[in-house]
Amino acid sequence: MFVRSKWVVVCLIALVMILSIGIVINGAKKITIRVWYPDELGIKPKYVDQAAAAFRKDFPNVNLEIRRFKMPPRDFKTKLLLALGSGEGPDVIHFSGGSNIAEFADAGYIVPLDKYVNSWPDWSQYPDAVKGGVTYEGHVYAIPYGLDMRWLYYNKNIFRAVGLPVPWQPKSWNDIINAAIVIKERAPDKIPFALYAGVAGSGGTLAHAFLPLFYGAGGKLYDSKTGKWIVDSPAYRKTLEFYREVFLKYKLSPQEVMTLPKPWTTMRRKIGTGELGILYEGGWVYGGYIHNLGLEKARETVGYAMMPSEHGKFFFTIGGSGTVWYVCSQSKHPELAWEYIKRFNSKEIVAHINIEDPHPVARMDSASLPEFQAQKYLVDCTNALKYAKFPPLQPELTKVTYRIQLLTSRVASGELTIDDAMKKYISEMKSDLGADKVEIVK
Amino acid sequence: MQRKAQLILVYFIFIAILIYFSLPSLWLFLSVFNAHAAPFIEIPKKPTLINFVKVFKDYNFSTYLFNSVFVSTITMILVTLTASLAGYSLSRWQSKYKNHIIYSILLLRTIPTSATMIPIYSLMRTLHLRNSYLGLILIYTAGQLPFLIWLIEQFFDTIPPEMEEAAWIDGSSYLRTLFSIVMPIAKPGIAVIAILSFRAAWSESVLVLVLIDSEHLQTIPRAFYEAIRTMGGSYIEYRYEIVATMGLFFLLPLMIIFLITHKYFVKGMLGGAIK
Amino acid sequence: MGKRYRNASYPHQNECDIVRRSRYLFWGFLPAGILIVLFFITPAIWGVYSSMTNMALVGKAARHLQFIGFQNYLKLITDSAFFTAIMNSVKYVVGGAIIGQFLLGLGLALLLEYTEKKGIKGGNVVYGFVMLAWLTPALVSGFEWGAMYDYYYGTLNNILKLLGLSKINWLGKTPMLAVIIANIWQGTAFSMMVFDSALKTIPVELYEAAKMDGASHWQSIRYITLPLIKNIAIIDLINITMVTFGVFLMIMAITNGGPGMKTTTLSLYAYRAAFENYRIGYGCSIAMVLLAINLIFGFTYLKVLKKIS
Repeated sequence: MFVRSKWVVVCLIALVMILSIGIVINGAKKITIRVWYPDELGIKPKYVDQAAAAFRKDFPNVNLEIRRFKMPPRDFKTKLLLALGSGEGPDVIHFSGGSNIAEFADAGYIVPLDKYVNSWPDWSQYPDAVKGGVTYEGHVYAIPYGLDMRWLYYNKNIFRAVGLPVPWQPKSWNDIINAAIVIKERAPDKIPFALYAGVAGSGGTLAHAFLPLFYGAGGKLYDSKTGKWIVDSPAYRKTLEFYREVFLKYKLSPQEVMTLPKPWTTMRRKIGTGELGILYEGGWVYGGYIHNLGLEKARETVGYAMMPSEHGKFFFTIGGSGTVWYVCSQSKHPELAWEYIKRFNSKEIVAHINIEDPHPVARMDSASLPEFQAQKYLVDCTNALKYAKFPPLQPELTKVTYRIQLLTSRVASGELTIDDAMKKYISEMKSDLGADKVEIVK
Repeated sequence: MQRKAQLILVYFIFIAILIYFSLPSLWLFLSVFNAHAAPFIEIPKKPTLINFVKVFKDYNFSTYLFNSVFVSTITMILVTLTASLAGYSLSRWQSKYKNHIIYSILLLRTIPTSATMIPIYSLMRTLHLRNSYLGLILIYTAGQLPFLIWLIEQFFDTIPPEMEEAAWIDGSSYLRTLFSIVMPIAKPGIAVIAILSFRAAWSESVLVLVLIDSEHLQTIPRAFYEAIRTMGGSYIEYRYEIVATMGLFFLLPLMIIFLITHKYFVKGMLGGAIK
Repeated sequence: MGKRYRNASYPHQNECDIVRRSRYLFWGFLPAGILIVLFFITPAIWGVYSSMTNMALVGKAARHLQFIGFQNYLKLITDSAFFTAIMNSVKYVVGGAIIGQFLLGLGLALLLEYTEKKGIKGGNVVYGFVMLAWLTPALVSGFEWGAMYDYYYGTLNNILKLLGLSKINWLGKTPMLAVIIANIWQGTAFSMMVFDSALKTIPVELYEAAKMDGASHWQSIRYITLPLIKNIAIIDLINITMVTFGVFLMIMAITNGGPGMKTTTLSLYAYRAAFENYRIGYGCSIAMVLLAINLIFGFTYLKVLKKIS
């Protein structure tokens, strides 16, 4: 008995010693700057590394730790927030902007960048509209590099085969539905149209499906004068009626958009492979077609058009600040974090990453580079951005997006009628946001 | 004649059940050897082992494998030690409250992880025990203790106390008696709880989602979860064969453990149901 | 099991020994006790506290943690999605556990027992594959069934095509049925094992006597087997109900709760509220409801167990 307990004590002491040595070694490490970014496509790492090389050259004593998260944005957001919530966040965050800026700023996760951009000469290259997209409550919180816009894509081969015009520019919602009906009748083995709905569609349900319709019907989601969310208006009903016609009346869009784990992966691919006729998607998706088909073949196969309003009174696209860079408030060395961001957002990197992963550039001097001007597609994107409408950048947008996801899928799956779905939506929005934060427009 | 009809009927049912139960697993096993698997079940035209190579080379799987083995083994040791001590104490303790304690321990077992995962996240974040093996191991251990204490207590109940007393009278200390007399007899029971706790820690996939973010701490369940969510990539096709290979590594140890310990396993799992 | 010594006393003991020994027993129980209290009971109590706060991962609430009393619970009562989730859980449990796993498990156990007696081969293979499904971790099962149900390339629709039938949109049209079928696939083995072990405890003499009296096979099942395994059946039912009620990973992997809310069960709803909509406090209040429901099942389970033993 006695002998045993002696050994136990010896073992315990040894354990404690090993642990404390480990802690001491850990503590002696040099300054570390951690950069987190999500990327599934594989284009970003090259440019992130270019910026990292520039950073390491200037700060050889700083340990720059870059971590790529190969996962969909929603999963990355969960992961990031779990880490931020427990104080284990990185120094530099790379994530989509939009309403995240307000959400993160409200939570105190990110710091205002005003003092950094004011002493950064390049900041003057950013147009005011772009600056406005990353400003929340009077402070600049993020640095964008490539902006978002969206197209109505169509597969030219299918269109030619069924006798639809190429190039195609629909003049109204009816033009879209009619084209899809023609595809359904004459090419029954193809999917005519894919319209995202439900939670499975993630952010796409809002920006690639609901909003292009809703704005086209003259809808307004958030009233910036009263600070209230509009939860019912004729535009809602028109949009949902479009959903009903597409999913239930003419059965043009497959129900799988609501059940596939990542419907956008499948649907984007199908436009390229010629299995799907029409899809509203991000401008950057074209990069995938170029990647898979080559520039020439992509041009022959995949067409893109502006979204028409309900009766063709105007044409527009859904814009956004794209993926942006944040300095995390949990960083012990925010000035070093900023140094990294600065190096990523150089004229050259911004131009080249957006050529490879096609987006309109955030800083104007990048667009003037001849490499950029040589890309007809990018010039088209940049022009389309002039007609962009934006989602409201309020912190509540995440909650509202979730409710809109439910709303669209309830109608699209036939679970509820438009009236019942709206009733449910209104009561959910009241409960989520507070009855004093919502209003109904007749 | 009647026997023949009976045989046909029985085999008809057998085949129907076999199709239902084997098809998904067969698909997994076949996909592993296919260079480009589809969701449709097909025998690989050119069987290949390339997926095993890829999983280890391109997906950092050896780290996950090591982490899983490490966490499960330490959990197993900790559970086995504390549960057998507690089970023995409970078995030999004489009190009118004893049954109450045993039943409240069993009651704890009925709480599902889904009910405690959110508080566990919030608690571990407050204690700064997220993203550490220590936190994961402590949570896993505590989660399994109630059931396994109960199981091993039943086992100690079958060991006659007279032997211990004889040892005391011979001048042996309590601890010594426990380790030299009781534990050897209880070996089969201890083996059962060791294996059950290893299995539970190995396949636990909920808490690891909310407790671990760090790449180098990821275990197989966490890596597999991320694989099924992300293997698509934006333009890249869903790599069924890669996910299937990870799934196979996830499943295989459980199959091996089951084959070795089938008899105890069934008894252990049924727990309270069969006496 | 053999002889039990649960409350057996040591034959040669005196007061002093009892006190001394209880002290050792107390130390023996302590490590496990501490672990259980700290990392099992504390989270549950902590959950009660968290459910009364506005704890969140985004927005102003992430910075300003506030105690808000029963507000989350009041919100829960007016949250129609919460009731949809409860209804989905009921469907999932009734379809998957109570009807599916229970009946299929009982049927399989009886069939295997019968074939073993009659010397019909092949029972072991069936048993093996049913067990294999049960051993498969939930995420892997979900991955396998997601592939089975895939609309364009999945095994099921390809089989339908081979048979000349048209494709079925499993996850779009019949999502609940789809996840229930997957749940039965995974869970049946437990009931099968329970009944298999129970059937083995029934003395052969009973059947022989019945046969002498001229009872048919069905009659002996009806009048001998079923009454004898009644209690075990109740235990099994409560057990699989509890387990099915608490799991959500497989659904997450197959449909992710969709389309809409159609396959979002209560436990999945709790997960999503906390980790996809980032409202930890609200998610906790749902989790506490789950906990309460499970404790009620647990009490019933123990009562039955007590009655039997």
